[in-house]
Amino acid sequence: MNKNWRWLPAGIVPAVIVAASVSGTAVAEAQPQLPAKTAQELLEFVATSTDDAYSGTVEQSSNLGLPDVGMATPSGGTSSNDPTSLALELLTGEHTARVFVDGPDRARVQVLDELAQRDVIVNSTDAWSYDSATNEVRHAALPDKDAAKAELEARLQQKVADHPELQDLPRTPAELAELFLTEIDPSTEVAVDGTSRVADRSAYELRLTPEDPATLIGTISVSIDSETGVPLGVAVQAKGQEDAAFDAAFSDVDFSAPDATIFDFTPPPGATVIEAPTVDEARALVDGKDSDLPAVPTAKPTVIGEGWSTIVELPAGSASLMGIAPGSGEAGMGEIMEIKPGMDPEQVAGAQALLEQALTDVDGGRALQTSLASVLITDDGRILMGAVGIDQLVAAARQ
Amino acid sequence: MSTTDFAIRTRGLTKVFGRQAAVGGIDLAVPRGTVFGFLGPNGSGKTTTIRMLLGLATATSGEIDLLDGEMPRDARAVLPRVGALVEGPAIYPFLSGRANLRRFDAADRHTSPSTRTARVDAALERVGLGHAANKRAHAYSLGMKQRLGIANALLAPRDLLILDEPTNGLDPQGTREVRHLIRSLSDDGTTIFVSSHLLAEVEQMCSMIAVMSAGRLVAQGTLDELRDEGTARVRITTPDPLEARRVLLGLGLAPEVHGRDDVVTAQLSVPGLLPETVNTALVRAEVRVRGFEASGASLEDRFVALTGEGFDVAG
Amino acid sequence: MPAESVSTRPSRSGGSLGLTLVLSEITVLFRRLRTWAMIGALALIPILIAVVVRVSSDTSGSGRGPAFLNSITQNGLFVSLTALTVAIPLFLPLTIGVVAGDTIAGEANLGTLRYLLVAPAGRIRLLLVKYAGAALFCFVATLTVVVTGAIIGALLFPVGPVTLLSGDTVGIGGYFVRLLLLALYVTVSLLGLSAIGLFISTLTTIPVGAMAATAALAAVAQILGALPQLEWLHPWLFTNYWLGFADLLREPIVWTSFADNALLQLGYIAVFGALAYGRFSTRDVLS
Repeated sequence: MNKNWRWLPAGIVPAVIVAASVSGTAVAEAQPQLPAKTAQELLEFVATSTDDAYSGTVEQSSNLGLPDVGMATPSGGTSSNDPTSLALELLTGEHTARVFVDGPDRARVQVLDELAQRDVIVNSTDAWSYDSATNEVRHAALPDKDAAKAELEARLQQKVADHPELQDLPRTPAELAELFLTEIDPSTEVAVDGTSRVADRSAYELRLTPEDPATLIGTISVSIDSETGVPLGVAVQAKGQEDAAFDAAFSDVDFSAPDATIFDFTPPPGATVIEAPTVDEARALVDGKDSDLPAVPTAKPTVIGEGWSTIVELPAGSASLMGIAPGSGEAGMGEIMEIKPGMDPEQVAGAQALLEQALTDVDGGRALQTSLASVLITDDGRILMGAVGIDQLVAAARQ
Repeated sequence: MSTTDFAIRTRGLTKVFGRQAAVGGIDLAVPRGTVFGFLGPNGSGKTTTIRMLLGLATATSGEIDLLDGEMPRDARAVLPRVGALVEGPAIYPFLSGRANLRRFDAADRHTSPSTRTARVDAALERVGLGHAANKRAHAYSLGMKQRLGIANALLAPRDLLILDEPTNGLDPQGTREVRHLIRSLSDDGTTIFVSSHLLAEVEQMCSMIAVMSAGRLVAQGTLDELRDEGTARVRITTPDPLEARRVLLGLGLAPEVHGRDDVVTAQLSVPGLLPETVNTALVRAEVRVRGFEASGASLEDRFVALTGEGFDVAG
Repeated sequence: MPAESVSTRPSRSGGSLGLTLVLSEITVLFRRLRTWAMIGALALIPILIAVVVRVSSDTSGSGRGPAFLNSITQNGLFVSLTALTVAIPLFLPLTIGVVAGDTIAGEANLGTLRYLLVAPAGRIRLLLVKYAGAALFCFVATLTVVVTGAIIGALLFPVGPVTLLSGDTVGIGGYFVRLLLLALYVTVSLLGLSAIGLFISTLTTIPVGAMAATAALAAVAQILGALPQLEWLHPWLFTNYWLGFADLLREPIVWTSFADNALLQLGYIAVFGALAYGRFSTRDVLS
């Protein structure tokens, strides 16, 4: 009376599950057969793409060698409106966002956090952002579309009139592609690198490889949908790194117009609504005419070098504006972040601990090194950054 | 007799736990319509055998025919016709007696929900628990739990009842009632398989018995057959012990004289020799008999011989 | 004792679907004081949260504490969500551990298992019925938290249209539809754990051991899920989507986590169901 066969399902079921998941991955990774295209043909294809209404889910992951901010902030990675930690957060870990696009002026992006969400909605009249964790709405009324278009058109005409050589601007997608390739050619190798499957669709892989030895960037790959020409994903590889340092791609995409109600937004009851300055107010702000508003340093950033090893230098004072105290090399682990009114002290402390972890003392300041870019905060408060090593930044800071 | 004439039939039924054989190759044959006693001391393998009969435990080897099917293969078809009390009753203490029975009845997919209430009430009445039907079972006495266990076996008309120690925990009145119940069920044509470690109980209820000892079946048959196989004894009290001894020797027996008490005893070791024949021979030989006692029905001696153990006759 | 008063042969068709046994299982489960004690404890979670927030209102926690906590004072219907967030990692798995761990081991411990099998309930059928009972408990337990939360929230705080995570608002009717979906999501989330509990329950005759082991596994899975070093393992943990219920509070609803979660739980049900079948159908019932 052998009953051992009754254990058979217990052996078969896990085997089937493993086999199914493995073969599922294999199918997803199989390269689709597509008609060959040159880089120029592919770029033309992208430029002619007319599918401008779609929705989908974007998975983004960063592997820049930075510690995960989610672990450092209190209450398990809830989002924050503090610009510094927001930027840091997007540079670390993984994020999922849903994207809805209908035409050039209606879009909605939803960053899906655990038990929370951040939304950005743009429709023809307004731009909204909403953060469920803080229940804050930011709103900006958009200038009248037709007027703005007319103004833009007028300015363009003026520019063309001022610069006759612009008459020869490329008009067709083919010309655009050609121009792009000629412009980019000396510094970058552009090639079509086979095909792939992205969001369950077949795609061409366009690969850009910088020829500049100074840059940290290894390759940039763009996945382009073989049917619509819409870019479905982008991955940036650092030199000498196996996994992509930055990766964003659709995990599913639907090329039909999203429901129009998605682009409507009314601030929920009880939410704090922060009105953004209008365009005119913003201009006034930049010009420093309105004394009620805090002054913004007017000095413009300096650009050092060219191509992939370009370094951007922000003038003195920029660091403190961003909430970072210009540290002195000797001070070591001093206060890096200044606590400003309205900031959550705990969050600041978290971000500060994080920065302390990430920053290293170098000659003349402190530096942050990631696999794709470096940032140098000099002792006199300047900020230098670029897709190059710290040594180049230090050298540039001395000049 | 063909297979279907037996309610239970096993061939070489064996159960090994680890390296120890709890049941070692037994061949049970329980004819239909009998009240069959399954006798053996505690730990002799009775309950393990019953577990295998009911498909609760898998036999290490051997075959089981239960009613018209083979166990455990035909369990679904056969078990609804079998009522069982295995190793004492088991109850849900937080349910009433009635709810307990409804629960077990629902487990049998063949029973009809529409007759459930009537059948449960009938079973409760039958074991005399009607008055306590709505009481939580955790408040039941040991005897009431035992009755509930028997009621569970009677929820539907059965062709075979397997009752493991049915009188456990019952007072003398309850024991009598159970005996009566078994007799009346047997009169209805139900085959009843009763296991017990009590010789007296089995003797009073059963027409056939099987005896287990240390996992083996050491005897099986009708009570009379077993008695006959057993050697009865005569005990004669006489002022003429030597005369009596001579007569008994003449009958081919091996008497022993216990001089001081004027008692002569002998085992009736000659086949076919009945105690009354011995008595007639003594009278003919003009032996003065003060007392004559024939313990020919002493199954107990027989079982002690078979199992090597004394039975707890008193319970 | 009267003679056999019911002489009809048992009907061979009645209840062969096993529905009677399912009903019986549910009755037995919900006639236990223990079951109601656990449901009561679960109901206490939203009540406690709501009362504490009400008593100490005006001092908002400014972004700290469990999710949705700060929304309660504005809309009482959020009590359900806060309570779920609190209950999912600990209290719900604990009660599910008790019920699922008790399924077979509890019957074996009482000895009633042998009478169910002799009835005969059929071993596979009994496993299925037991699992159905545990699954129903998952739903009742979740619903208890959600419904108690909505009631106590409505009693202590103003109620009105509810703000979703995306900033859109839905009316109370639409919100209750979402709450029901939420309860379904959490129920589905707990099905894998129930299957694990069922399997562990077939291994022993000591129900407390099976309950503790099941609840402990839920804790272990959550700890593993919190370790970034084990990221490759996370999609395979049955706790992976437990807090994904928030996806039902987005507009439009994100269904992928619901689907992924259902698939994952189904995998657990298949694996541990097969294990439970292998164990229970070959096991000698000796208690």
